[in-house]
Amino acid sequence: MDPARLLGPAQIDALAQLGVSTILLGGIYALIAVGLTLIFGIMRVVNFAHGEFLMLGMYLAFWSFTLYGLDPYFVLFVSIPLFFLVGLLTYALVMRGVITASHNAQIFTTVGLSTALQNVALVAWTGDFRFVRPWHSSVVLRIAGTAFNLAQVVAFAIAVALTVALFAFMKWTHTGRVMRATAQDRDAATLMGIATDRVYRLTWAIGIACVGAAGVLVAPLYSVYPTAGLQFVLLSYVVVVLGGLGDMVGALLGSLIVAAVEVVGSYFFGTAWKEVLYFVLFIAVLVFRPAGLFGQRGAEMLGA
Amino acid sequence: MPRRLLASALLALALALTGLLAVGHGQSLTGEYKIGVLEPLTGPLAFEGKRHLEGYEIMRDMINERGGVMGRKLVFAVGDATDPTAAASEANRLITREGVKILTGTYSSTLCGAASEAAARHNVIYWESSCVDPRFTRRGLKTVFRTEIDGTGFGWYNIEFVAKHLAPRFGLKPNQLKIAFLSEDSSYGQGVTEAARQRAKGEFGMQEVAAEYYAFASTNDFTPIIVKLKQLNPDVVHHIARGNDAVLFWRQSREQSFLFKALVHAYGSPDFGKALGAEGNGPFALLEPGPGFRLEALRPEGQRLEREFRETVQKKTGSYPLGGHQLAAGGLWVLKVVLDQARTDELDKFRATVMAMDLPVGSLINGWGVKFAENGQNANERVQHYMLQWQGGQLVTVWPEEFSTLRAKWIPLGSWDQRK
Repeated sequence: MDPARLLGPAQIDALAQLGVSTILLGGIYALIAVGLTLIFGIMRVVNFAHGEFLMLGMYLAFWSFTLYGLDPYFVLFVSIPLFFLVGLLTYALVMRGVITASHNAQIFTTVGLSTALQNVALVAWTGDFRFVRPWHSSVVLRIAGTAFNLAQVVAFAIAVALTVALFAFMKWTHTGRVMRATAQDRDAATLMGIATDRVYRLTWAIGIACVGAAGVLVAPLYSVYPTAGLQFVLLSYVVVVLGGLGDMVGALLGSLIVAAVEVVGSYFFGTAWKEVLYFVLFIAVLVFRPAGLFGQRGAEMLGA
Repeated sequence: MPRRLLASALLALALALTGLLAVGHGQSLTGEYKIGVLEPLTGPLAFEGKRHLEGYEIMRDMINERGGVMGRKLVFAVGDATDPTAAASEANRLITREGVKILTGTYSSTLCGAASEAAARHNVIYWESSCVDPRFTRRGLKTVFRTEIDGTGFGWYNIEFVAKHLAPRFGLKPNQLKIAFLSEDSSYGQGVTEAARQRAKGEFGMQEVAAEYYAFASTNDFTPIIVKLKQLNPDVVHHIARGNDAVLFWRQSREQSFLFKALVHAYGSPDFGKALGAEGNGPFALLEPGPGFRLEALRPEGQRLEREFRETVQKKTGSYPLGGHQLAAGGLWVLKVVLDQARTDELDKFRATVMAMDLPVGSLINGWGVKFAENGQNANERVQHYMLQWQGGQLVTVWPEEFSTLRAKWIPLGSWDQRK
């Protein structure tokens, strides 16, 4: 073993820092993945344009900060209803036509939507990297040998709150129950008098509202540019599969696992290995527990 | 009678003016000469690709005001090389549909390999102005030429600066320096980093404490690397960054109070300064000349060309030329000089002209000279490069000192709150 790695106070600080980084990075992944898992779980649609809605959220934060000096944490409250509307609109224009089509048609449609949105952003706002730098973006918190950014803590707290809220909504409200019923068996739900089209529209709009809000929250942490979404979206699929399709709490735990693999793998094996590590995990989960680590057995077959 | 006199006088004046204008425009151009330009104009590399295209367009107009190429007006057929596959298919399209005999481009090292191979299959000249992948000129292709240095040249210059400028200012010998290498994992990052590692260890005996590669498009947190590097305590960090990663690494290094004496990060895009302002004070980047550049250090013909180029860029964009402008424009000007001398785009003659060219440092835009090797690569020592430093959100030229009026600051870098 490398003598530099023997456990002294500096090493304990290093390990503590890795722990903190895992939790905060996991929070960001969870924030992004929660909308995806909702759409995935209820509609059985793999939304390849998810990252682009995140990118639009980031641009919303950028423009409202640059043009009007609005703080992203204020814009957050505007973004939720705004992206809910964007969701309703994209559902009516794009998703409604393919909701009963084959999975292939749905994949092609969302991939097309993704490329279209990226290029609209490129034409409208150029490919330059943009930055949102409110006063609190350079606030560093230091606790017992660990250091982290205030914006990450806020993102983590909101990720947890959002997960809990969606979990409760799905579990205890009538609409949530209707959504779960539709996910389990669309035909039976229709026979029970559920307007499945409305359920899908609502699901899609909530999913988009979540990821739009996530975009606003991560904007102070990362650069804003037309393909910013790609940086996170592949990870979100890993998270969703790990956590189990449509499982909110699973998505949160899945995010923490992916972040832990990334942080610990980067530290001990080298950064080049981190993607190898979590994709091996991804494949292993698909082979041994296709419903996800926390998903219900058989959930992956539902609605297929 | 006086009226007729007046009329003739006016006519004479008008003729004289037209004559003057014609002289001002250089010789009149007969016909057009079309070349293909490949840059990524959509997708993740578009922001730099567009800047390069802008540099080409500015230089094309400047060339056409100065006699065009081979007496003809230079025009472009543009292709969008968004990824390697598109680069190859667009190269094919420009050659077969547009009939070009010369292709130029391409901002990224991920693109120039595929595009130039497609061109080679048609025996079409590939005139590269900016990709730095060393493999580009190592495939035995007789059709490829590169005006910019390759990645090994960047590594060479970076270590030159660390060993000969920084080490004495730290009061250390080069072999006492501890250096950490960190790089994004594209062929560009690897090419530069491996060349730098080799020279640092082999020629100067520096102590390498780490060599880490990461995927720039999917690294969302540098904290684990920073925590690791902090324990290894390097004097110099050699970081080859590509975009968002430059800003994120610097910002998180500050969060983690990671201290080092200097950082060379090879990142010259203005967004680093915009994102960080004075918080980004200190890092060095090996680039084309920026503010502080002493034009008087160039040869007279180089000075004149450089001055006219800057004025044109200033008029078109309202700012100082950016790296993309300088690489594309510098490369295109060399192509004009070659074509004017060769008077043909026929490969053998063109190639012979390129090989015979011999211009010393300071002759061209960016203070460059020309001396191509048989493999089509312009020589490291002719393509003069400069070390720039981020100072107050701006990149300024600080090395070699004979080329600059400004000086490197914060050597060694103090704690994070003392770099104002």
